[in-house]
Formats: sequence, structure tokens, C-alpha cells
Amino acid sequence: MSDTVNREELFDSVALYALGVLPREEAALVAAFIANDDRARGEYVRARTAADALAHMADEPVDSTRSARMKERLMSRVRADAATPAIARSRPRPAYPAMSWATGLAAAAAIVFALVTVAQDLTLRGTLALDDRRITTLQARLSQSDRAAVESQRTLTRALTDLLASDARRYPVAPGTVVVRGDRIYFALSKLPPPPKGHVYQAWTAPRASTTMSPSVTFTPNADGVAVVRLPVDAARVGTVAVSVEPDGGSKAPTTTPTFVRPLT
Amino acid sequence: MDPGVRLMDRVRARDASAFEALYDGYHRLVFGIGLRILGDPALAEDLTQNVFLKVWTAPDAFRGGSFTAWVSRVARNRALDVLRSRAVHPESEIPADLPLDGALDDDVLARIDAQRVRDALATLPSEQRSLIEMGFFGGVTHHELARRTDTPLGTVKTRIRSGLRRMREALGERVSR
Repeated sequence: MSDTVNREELFDSVALYALGVLPREEAALVAAFIANDDRARGEYVRARTAADALAHMADEPVDSTRSARMKERLMSRVRADAATPAIARSRPRPAYPAMSWATGLAAAAAIVFALVTVAQDLTLRGTLALDDRRITTLQARLSQSDRAAVESQRTLTRALTDLLASDARRYPVAPGTVVVRGDRIYFALSKLPPPPKGHVYQAWTAPRASTTMSPSVTFTPNADGVAVVRLPVDAARVGTVAVSVEPDGGSKAPTTTPTFVRPLT
Repeated sequence: MDPGVRLMDRVRARDASAFEALYDGYHRLVFGIGLRILGDPALAEDLTQNVFLKVWTAPDAFRGGSFTAWVSRVARNRALDVLRSRAVHPESEIPADLPLDGALDDDVLARIDAQRVRDALATLPSEQRSLIEMGFFGGVTHHELARRTDTPLGTVKTRIRSGLRRMREALGERVSR
């Protein structure tokens, strides 16, 4: 999305989301928006109904030989499976399957996640619009590790709120946008090539009125070149941010030409 | 109600005859989506097997609503996965199941058929219709739609939005008749 993304732009993209023609990182933002905006939900229901109906266009007769062949292959497996005792098929399901994905994020000093994961999370969990009461109720039930996951979810929700907020400051950079809201700084990047083997991306920050870069978090984009990173710094103390490619584990000072350098002014 | 919904209740209970009925009722749709997107009957056949095996082995993936719509989305996304694996790399994906407090217009979806959809599409200006069809069956983003049709991105957005609205209205009218 551009640096000028706002609620109206997101609203205009709801129909595109329903039709399934948005790139994944944009789709994730729009999904989050729909989950939090009544007007967008109404628009989505209308557009999605029409989009879903399009599938009927493909409902045409299938060659009878092919149809019979497909059916026979399927039914032979299904009948055999149906004859298997249920206990042999059953697998234990985690009590809160949708929570587990977030567990690994809980202890991270910075959040690094692909927005597409957010979209998947929406699908799995039923809603992104978690309120604190629900979180509190869940927390009472969950194990320690799952509590960490819930805390991550709370952080994730806050990050999404920040990224979508109309009062956030947005600074365009070549691979995406730097978003600042309150004391928080995020990189919302969607066009990052994979770093060379044995390398990662590293964030850098410099105080106001200084050009000395301090090392910050390292991160790797997902397969689609998407990464959303929250920097573990107070935005009020930062005048410039940058990203460069560094060896695994990061560097104490940039060793390559930065992917971008962005004054926050 | 979409008959697939009732059948899925029985499929969850491992009822093979319900699954067979489900296959008989929906394999044309699944195969047809695969064929439209992949353009290859053999691949569409594999896709159909794949989708119905998912229905059998993971029936809980269907969480209610319109079965027709759900299985169509599964088929479309699987077909796009196949395109990706063949290095065609479509970038878009239809949202699988964004849950809402108020469900989609399931009564509308349950009562439409191919002819109704064609009739509804026919009410659209050709520039809206072609973008919507290309978007749904082509697995491309709106950026790519703009490039292919040499149309400004904003115009593509507007046409898709207006087209889907108009189509929804037309479908509603036809269902209520």
C-alpha cells in the first residue's frame, strides 16, 4: 500500500479483496480493516456474494468417462477409510489451535511477521477484533505458553491498529513504508528480495541531529518479500532509520550499502 | 438451504454415501473451476480429486454457510496453488473464509445457478464484466489487470467495485422473482 493509505482507500479495496485480486500484503491490511469497520463489512458481504456466485459460471457437464473415473478413485479410498475404526483416524486437537502459531513470537523483542499470516489468522480464529474481555477470559484458561501467545496476539492487534491508524505518520521507502505512531516505529515492507544465503536484513536507528547509526533488530522477509517489523526503540528519540543486508546475527555497524535510509521528518 | 450443508454433517460422521452424494452434486463445479483456471483437463481432474479428498479428510474445514461458495473457494485457491507451482506465480488469493457476524447472503448463493450468474453478468458493461471474470478466473492482481487491459489502476478498482455491486443487485432480483 502507498504511504497515503487511509480508511477510504481501504474501503475502496474491499471489493477487490472480495474478488481475490489483491496482493497478499494488501489483502491482509484490508482483511484487518473489514474486521474492524462495520461499513466495510457490509460492503464485503455484498461484494463477496457476487464474487462467490461467479464460480457457478464454471459449472458445466464433465465428460462421463472422466467423471466415473474420478468418482471411482475417490470412492475406493473413502470407503476403505470409512471402514477404518474411528479411533485409528482420530488425532488429538489442541484446545486452541489458532493460538499456537503466535507462541514463538511472544518473547521477541521486536515483532517480525508477515501480514499474510494475519489474514490466515483471521480465517482460523473467526475474528481479529479481539477485545480485552475475551482475551482476559481466555488467559484464565490457558497454559503458560498459551498466555504468551495471547500476549503476542495483543501485541499483534496493537500493531495492526497502529498500521491502520489515520493519525499514524507514514514515510515512504523503496520497499514499503515506515510507520510511526506514538512512541512506536514499524517497518511495513513488501518488496524485499530475499537476502543472500547466510545474511539477514538489519534495522538501524540514529538519534535526532546525529548520523551515528545504532544496530537494531534483524529480520527476514517471507517468501513474498513481506516483513512487518516493530523497532524496540522510543520513536521520540529517533531521527533516522535505515535497513541494510548483514551477515546472520547482525553487525555492529552497517557493512553494506543500505537498502534505504529514511529521516523521520 | 444449500444441500451440501446437510451432507457435510453426515460426512463429518464418516458417512461414505453422503460423500458420494456430495461428489455427485458438486464435482462438475469443482472440475469446471479447475478447468477454467488451469486450462488442462488432466490437471483439473487432479484438482478435483484433491479438493474432494480434503472434504473427506478434513470436513471441519467447512464451518458453515454456503457449501457451494466454500468448495468453490477451495477449488479456486488450489488451482492458483497449482499455477504457482508451475511458476506462473499468481499473486492473489481469494479470501478463504473471512468470518462475519452476519453471514454472507447464503440464501442468494444457495438459489443461484450458472444461468442466473450469466444473466446477472450480462447486465454489466463489458469493461466491468471482463475485469471481474479475468480477476476471478485468472488469479491475477488488480495491478496486473490494469496492465493487461491498459487501464488506470483507479479505473480498474472502480469498475470492479461497481460491477460487483451491480451484479449482486441483479442476482438478488433474480432470486426474489
